[in-house]
Amino acid sequence: MNEFLGINGGQLLVWGQFVVLVYFLVVNGWYMLLLVSSLLEMRRHLLLIADEARHLLLSSTLSPTISILAPAFNEESTIEGSLRALLALQYPNLEVIVISDGSKDQTVQVLIERFDLVAVKTIYEQRIKTKPVRALYRSATYPALVVVDKDNGGKADALNVGLSFAKGALVCAMDADTLIEADGLQRMIRPFLYATDVVATGGTIRVVNGSEVKSGRVIRTRVPTNALAGMQVVEYLRAFLFGRLGWNRLGGNIIISGAFGLFRRESVLSAGGYLHDTVGEDMELVLRLKRLSYERGGPGKIAFVPDPVAWTEVPESLKVLGRQRDRWHRGLADVLWRHRGMLLNPRYRVTGLVVLPYYAFVELLAPAIEAIGLISLALGLIYGIVDWNFAALFYLTAYGLGTALTAFTLILEDLSFHRYETFRDRALLFLWAMLENLGYRQMTVYWRLRGLWKFLRGRKDWGAMERKGFKPLAAPTARA
Amino acid sequence: MTVEIALLVVAVIIYFSHGLWLFINHRRIQRSTEAARESLARLVTRGTINVEDVALLRELRHDVQESMFLEMSRNLTGAGKERLRFVAREVSLLDRARQLCASRRWTRRLRGARVLARMDVADPLVEILLADPHPAVRAQAAEWAAVQPSVPIITTMLTMLADPATQARFAVQDALLRMGGIVAEPLAAFLETHSGLPAESGLRVAESLASTGFRPAALRHSGSEDAGVRIAATKLLGAIGDAPSAERLTELLKDPDSRVRAAAAQGLGRIQHWQAASQLAEGLRDSAWHVRREAGLALRSIGAPGALFLRRALKGDDAFAADMAQLVLDLPAAAAAG
Repeated sequence: MNEFLGINGGQLLVWGQFVVLVYFLVVNGWYMLLLVSSLLEMRRHLLLIADEARHLLLSSTLSPTISILAPAFNEESTIEGSLRALLALQYPNLEVIVISDGSKDQTVQVLIERFDLVAVKTIYEQRIKTKPVRALYRSATYPALVVVDKDNGGKADALNVGLSFAKGALVCAMDADTLIEADGLQRMIRPFLYATDVVATGGTIRVVNGSEVKSGRVIRTRVPTNALAGMQVVEYLRAFLFGRLGWNRLGGNIIISGAFGLFRRESVLSAGGYLHDTVGEDMELVLRLKRLSYERGGPGKIAFVPDPVAWTEVPESLKVLGRQRDRWHRGLADVLWRHRGMLLNPRYRVTGLVVLPYYAFVELLAPAIEAIGLISLALGLIYGIVDWNFAALFYLTAYGLGTALTAFTLILEDLSFHRYETFRDRALLFLWAMLENLGYRQMTVYWRLRGLWKFLRGRKDWGAMERKGFKPLAAPTARA
Repeated sequence: MTVEIALLVVAVIIYFSHGLWLFINHRRIQRSTEAARESLARLVTRGTINVEDVALLRELRHDVQESMFLEMSRNLTGAGKERLRFVAREVSLLDRARQLCASRRWTRRLRGARVLARMDVADPLVEILLADPHPAVRAQAAEWAAVQPSVPIITTMLTMLADPATQARFAVQDALLRMGGIVAEPLAAFLETHSGLPAESGLRVAESLASTGFRPAALRHSGSEDAGVRIAATKLLGAIGDAPSAERLTELLKDPDSRVRAAAAQGLGRIQHWQAASQLAEGLRDSAWHVRREAGLALRSIGAPGALFLRRALKGDDAFAADMAQLVLDLPAAAAAG
């Protein structure tokens, strides 16, 4: 190979390979630490919740009111089922606010007819500037239901409107098509009852594809046979059971999923609500709440609770999945850029010194480093500079250790919640975990790189998310 | 390379062996569990003790037996619960729970307290756990105390209103509320002598009980320097709603803290104290939005005198007061009630 700046190109490739190898070792070492941390946290959590009397909360006058904020855009085919499931959640002081974000279909009409809605006026304080509200409805049949019809402004804007109308001390932000398990809120509220410094809690998101759903409830959990969905099941388990749970113990949670999160309403309002001009509005809000707690004082703890579960449908097409991952990575880049002042800043303690460097150097840059590693490995093999033994070592370090960690995550799930019961599901889950590194992971590297590139070019669009609909609801829905 | 392969192999072995173990174990205990569940149901419903049924329950694995009893305890009260307790005693579940309560590990003490609480066993061991070093155990003991409302327990529970752990404090407040009217007198006496956080926690409980016996304490705490205590006291006055309370609520409309002013307006609206209409109308000019809102809603709920002030505010020189008055007057009846 040619000389470059006086260094032999071959040498450069080999050195590059070693740098990438060390990077993977460090990253996987950190993951190992997270896994141990999540094991300890899970054990403690299971001991605390075993046979607890959550039903007492249902009859307590002290239970704080929770307002569920469910933004909906063109959800006419699924909104009734989703809303009935929400109204049936087992929590005593519940308010459900559906915000139709300028739906162009019959979403609002469906709601008016099926839930006996009547137009009302109400007095609310608009502490956050939002798109205009067209109408407000209350249900004559369900006193806890409020429907807001507003001009289209995106999910963040819809959530901000919901925040203004909410009466609860706590607000639960979710997607209209997320299925929350019946006792999910009883479980999710625990950190707020147990500590005064908690500002937000998040629950586990699981993949519904392949499972049986009836009346808005998952009645039989199955691992999907579709490879793309199956590998996402593995990814979600890894992200929630080992990633977030592990960070919980280390005090470094900064992500609450936009599909299911519980927030202290006053804290969110004081922070200015959700930002409109970012695609990572959920992570941005959590990081802002955390940042403000350091700067102004006040509650700032973010808690992840593993047992409340919300089910979501994941994409089964490469095109849609690619768009989603690209958007997630743009969101991450955007949030880290907005809050770059916190990075390595001792004022923000563990968040500034550990969590943000992790997200910047591991989560954000990983696809770039992985791509460099893979390309240089291929070049090295082509030019005969790298031998096959080194290539095997590289692959096993980069992916083998990751696969072992994933397998331990599956064990963690099996030892704790054990949602996938049959041998068929177990084998399928393991198969997807093994196959994940043979193509799927490399594709996610490409999508994330694409997201990074788009971020650098200033793109902020969401892209369409196509859904098949839960079984037995077959009608497709779309959201923008 | 060897490390990675070894880790992967270990993970595979653990994962599938655990699955196999679960499968075998499930099949092994399924039959005996079903039979034991039927035995327990028979013992509890019939009221006669069948030695074979008890023996079957005794043979169960301890954790399975414990879960079975706790599951059933949730749906039983009175004589049924008494019979369940008797059977639990016969199969040594309660003895084991007592031993757990004395353990050095908090997780075991928690389990022990949980069993005794759910079985409503009046055991002094759990009372001792009200002072446990771990908040989860204290909270569990407080849950137990809810169905043991004796004077010494209520006294201990009241002192626990100052518990630094939110979890324990919440459990104590909830337990006191579940005890019902019996705590009113000791709580009133407690509120007379305490201030700060314990007072604030106690006032919240008192608000739900809303007895006039709390009036002296509420009046005293409404002048507290701590805003949190004043808010709780104001809400309690609103819940009591008699003439002296209404008078004090009217004074509290001028409190320096906007949350107290809002709570006072809300309380006056709730008791429809028309005599405070002019002071509430002043509230429409308040600098805090939520005070203006509560004042407006209170005026509306008062009826004709309140509506008069609202209409007058429409023509007044204060644009904020006029806006709020307009919003309130535009409300449909149902929304105003809500």
